[in-house]
Amino acid sequence: MNVGQTKSQFVAVASITAELSAVMDVAKEISLAAANAKAIAFRAGDKAKGFQPITDFINELAKETIELVTAINEHALLLYQMTVNNHRTSNVYTQLKLVEAQSKNAAYSSSLDLSLQNSQNKMSECKRDYKLNITQLLDQLAEVMHPARAARVIAANSRIEASQAGEYLQSLQAVAESVDNAAQVIHDNVTRCRSSLSIVQLTD
Amino acid sequence: MKMTNIYEGSYQWIMFGRDKNKPDNIIDTNQYMVKTATRCLLIDPGGVELFAPMLAAVLHYVPVDQITDLFASHQDPDIISSLGLWDQALPEAKLHASELWEGFIKHFGCDSIEYVPIGDNGGSINLDGIELQIIPAHYMHSSANFNIYDPQAKILMSGDIGAALEAPGSPVFVDNFDLHVEKMRFFHQRWMPSNQAKRVWIDRVRKLDIDILAPQHGRMFQGDDVNRFLDWFESLQVGIAV
Ligand SMILES: [Fe+2]
Ligand SMILES: [Fe+2]
Repeated sequence: MNVGQTKSQFVAVASITAELSAVMDVAKEISLAAANAKAIAFRAGDKAKGFQPITDFINELAKETIELVTAINEHALLLYQMTVNNHRTSNVYTQLKLVEAQSKNAAYSSSLDLSLQNSQNKMSECKRDYKLNITQLLDQLAEVMHPARAARVIAANSRIEASQAGEYLQSLQAVAESVDNAAQVIHDNVTRCRSSLSIVQLTD
Repeated sequence: MKMTNIYEGSYQWIMFGRDKNKPDNIIDTNQYMVKTATRCLLIDPGGVELFAPMLAAVLHYVPVDQITDLFASHQDPDIISSLGLWDQALPEAKLHASELWEGFIKHFGCDSIEYVPIGDNGGSINLDGIELQIIPAHYMHSSANFNIYDPQAKILMSGDIGAALEAPGSPVFVDNFDLHVEKMRFFHQRWMPSNQAKRVWIDRVRKLDIDILAPQHGRMFQGDDVNRFLDWFESLQVGIAV
């Protein structure tokens, strides 16, 4: 592992947290939009009958997204710690190899073998854990895509329902619009997270 | 890494320093080792860049598992930033360092090494029956700072006290005290913050029987040069360079 790779690992893992906090904001927006839509639909009464269950559904999706993102954030923090450990253990191994090279004619050079062996084991263990965790995180991120995708389908349905809502047409359409936008933002952010993570997974 | 034996009795003191491969942009340091029958203490083991040459040098004297103790006179990076590497290289070791600096020094990495906190009054380290005294030297220059005194070898490892900024490859002992003074003046005036702390330290150290005063940078003082240094230091105003 070279310095550039290590740097990109730190940056990739840290940037996930940043992208996810944007996802979190958007999910909260959706939840707000859902509450708003519920109020409008209630006022619209029969005209927006089909719209009411949709607002509940939107709210569910927002909640689900928030829960998933919270879990992913915790996992990303763990992964960051692992990046640090990974870097540390690799560094220890590199240094001990240097000691080995520099102590060739020292009386007790062979006493280093055990430390070297331990350090190599630790390094491999760290790398294995690290890779495993990246795969898990990628899966978790894929999961966030599901509610976002569902939200887009619902937004399309909402537009149809809104068209039957008479004078409430515009406000309900606006709700559908904002849910659609939010879902798009989540989709884009999560895609970015996944692609930067996949790069980290490939390097090393 | 140059290795100089400075005491040979039933145990040894070795000074390590003047590392030829040291990068130019970091300060040159002296490391010390006390080696007894089955144990070995590294005093101010040094910065992270020095870990490999230092351990490689130590392996000329002892196997890894006999490096049982580390001592850090204070928290500075040139003293102990190598800790994270020793921590992974030594199966079982203790670090003796100030209680006050524990939460700070551990930033360098201290998972497997046991941190043995030294209280403000100092203490001692016993190696196979050889008793080394930990002498308080607070504010000299660090706010929690210690020296190591060996009454049998009559060596005082004084940390940054007595340090000099030297050209690379200079001799390990002071050979002309008057010429040496100029290499120490700025260091002491700028890094030592308190005349009062200096007086307390000098009073304490004058009571000790010292053959060699061994600082962490520059050259060691031997014989009469020890008292010359104490006299010079006593008359020097410190903490006034700004
Ligand atoms: Fe210092
Ligand atoms: Fe120093």
